[in-house]
Amino acid sequence: MRSVFKVVENRLESEWTHTIFFDEEIESRPGQFMMVWLPRLGEKPFTLSYPNAVTVKKAGAFTEKLAAVKPGDEIGLRGPLGQGYPPLKKPALIGGGVGIAELRLLALASEAPSFVLGGRTADEILFYEEFRELGPVHVATEDGALGHKGLVTELLPVEADSYAVCGPERMMAACLPKLPAERTYFAVERYMKCAVGLCGQCTCSGWRVCTDGPIFPATTVAQMDDFGKRRRSKSGKWEKV
Amino acid sequence: MIPLPEIEPPLINASGILSYPEVFAAFESAGACLGGYVTKSVGPREKPGNENPVVVYPPEGAVLNSLALPTQSAEDWERDLEEIKLKNAKLIVSVYGGDSREFAGVTRRMSRFGDAIEVNLGCPNKEPGEQTIMESIGQNPALSAEVIERVRDETDKPVIAKLSPNSDYLAVADSCMSAGADALGCGNTLGPGLAVDIQSRAAILAGTTGGISGPALKPINLRMTYEAYARFGCPIVAYGGIETWEDAVEYILAGASVLGIGTAFMRKSTHEAAALTRDIWEGVQEYLGGEPMSALIGAAHRPADGGGSDA
Ligand SMILES: Cc1cc2nc3c(=O)[nH]c(=O)nc-3n(C[C@H](O)[C@H](O)[C@H](O)COP(=O)(O)OP(=O)(O)OC[C@H]3O[C@@H](n4cnc5c(N)ncnc54)[C@H](O)[C@@H]3O)c2cc1C
Ligand SMILES: Cc1cc2nc3c(=O)[nH]c(=O)nc-3n(C[C@H](O)[C@H](O)[C@H](O)COP(=O)(O)O)c2cc1C
Ligand code: FES
Repeated sequence: MRSVFKVVENRLESEWTHTIFFDEEIESRPGQFMMVWLPRLGEKPFTLSYPNAVTVKKAGAFTEKLAAVKPGDEIGLRGPLGQGYPPLKKPALIGGGVGIAELRLLALASEAPSFVLGGRTADEILFYEEFRELGPVHVATEDGALGHKGLVTELLPVEADSYAVCGPERMMAACLPKLPAERTYFAVERYMKCAVGLCGQCTCSGWRVCTDGPIFPATTVAQMDDFGKRRRSKSGKWEKV
Repeated sequence: MIPLPEIEPPLINASGILSYPEVFAAFESAGACLGGYVTKSVGPREKPGNENPVVVYPPEGAVLNSLALPTQSAEDWERDLEEIKLKNAKLIVSVYGGDSREFAGVTRRMSRFGDAIEVNLGCPNKEPGEQTIMESIGQNPALSAEVIERVRDETDKPVIAKLSPNSDYLAVADSCMSAGADALGCGNTLGPGLAVDIQSRAAILAGTTGGISGPALKPINLRMTYEAYARFGCPIVAYGGIETWEDAVEYILAGASVLGIGTAFMRKSTHEAAALTRDIWEGVQEYLGGEPMSALIGAAHRPADGGGSDA
């Protein structure tokens, strides 16, 4: 596979979020990720939100630069990497922040999905209109601008055959006790270096997120003492999540 | 000489692969057939290493990495290793520093945790503006000897001098053995090499160059193992492109008594990696057909030169 792609569109999704489309579709399983390389600037993991796009929330130096690419610019892609979701029946997709975008391909691949989405404000509920065409959408916003005023966890539990949760780690940790472990999947995030299982940087209680995950069954996540608590920084030193 | 601890089976990970104690514990729980684990090289003070990309794998069987020795401080490593939960496997602590004093300082803190200390003399990677260990120490027999001497003073555990293939490694090994090393590590990554992207016209690795590991490295480190065994007949921990039981047997015949696996874990889940270690060890055992492994260590030297047989 070719490793450098041309950007064809940079679509503004919200004040902080951009979807970057490139000139070729990538075959992947929902939940797998790509290492996105900006030549001379860096490389970080992102989940495909379309077969030919990633959705990026500006959070720091690298994502600021990625969100600023223009049509014609070149970006490198390495992947798809990691373990995606197994096929899910009637899943409730529970998303927070940019994690909502990371659930989009799973939503399209699933039969009869429903949605439980949270954000600080209405602007952060990405793909709201599109998801409403796929199934029922429950929303919580911290400022009450859309749906329930409060946190997404306050909408749980909901009825579904299976559950997929993707969002900030503390939100996911709050969801863990509220969902049936044997039918629930979490998307775990860690800083990555090699992204292919060699360096150990992305460990969450010994599971290497880049190759054992990023999608883990909740039964595994329940055994991860570090989940929601601590992670290794670039040097390997522990820091709080 | 202090004998190496009994590493049973004699398979370990390579330093910088898996790296952290909780990952070792996960491998052990998954039934990995590794008799020992080597830590990421522990340095004297916190250092993040190079920016991404730090790994590139052109399709030719060569993997380039430019991690450049990220490390938490030796104090933080102490706290980490106090938590370690290995049931049976031995622990080898890999150490590095910028000079012999730093190597000694790290060894002083790490000695009580390790069943052996591996001294990294050969990492060819650097952050911009740094000199590599390989350049500043590992290519210089006198400086390498000074490092080993000072490490020797700080630990009563067996000391493994891990060599660089990009050096006059027999000369370096000679001075390390005289300075008190108990075993040789053959060896670190090769090069460093370069990968260029023709579309963006940029060097891919943020550190520009990266040490070469994987199948492309195997013939080089196999030769190092062979020559080091012929010269010193000492225990050898071999690293470089070991992916199958056949690779492992080749290294044993060349003179290795412990086999390290690194790049072969690439893209493997913990269960797949554990299965790979079992396949390798089962294949080696079948090849041995009941003979003890010790009978075959260095067998490729016989009968012509009989290297190492008097050790
Ligand atoms: C498998 C995977 C898939 C991902 N998919 C997406 C995606 O689709 N879209 C997207 O926008 N981002 C995604 N991310 C996150 C992305 O890779 C970046 O880490 C993130 O966007 C911040 O990048 P930055 O360099 O701009 O910010 P940084 O400068 O790294 O940090 C900005 C903020 O992020 C926090 N942070 C630092 N390290 C971590 C960490 N290990 N985990 C969580 N937070 C941390 C910092 O505290 C800081 O507040 C994914 C991460 C993983 C592991
Ligand atoms: C990503 C990566 C990180 C490494 N880090 C270290 C390290 O910290 N210390 C060290 O002595 N060797 C390090 N090495 C070298 C390996 O321990 C090993 O000697 C080499 O990779 C050859 O084995 P392999 O071909 O099986 O990978 C590293 C290698 C890789 C690929
Ligand atoms: S990032 Fe290197 S092991 Fe996952």
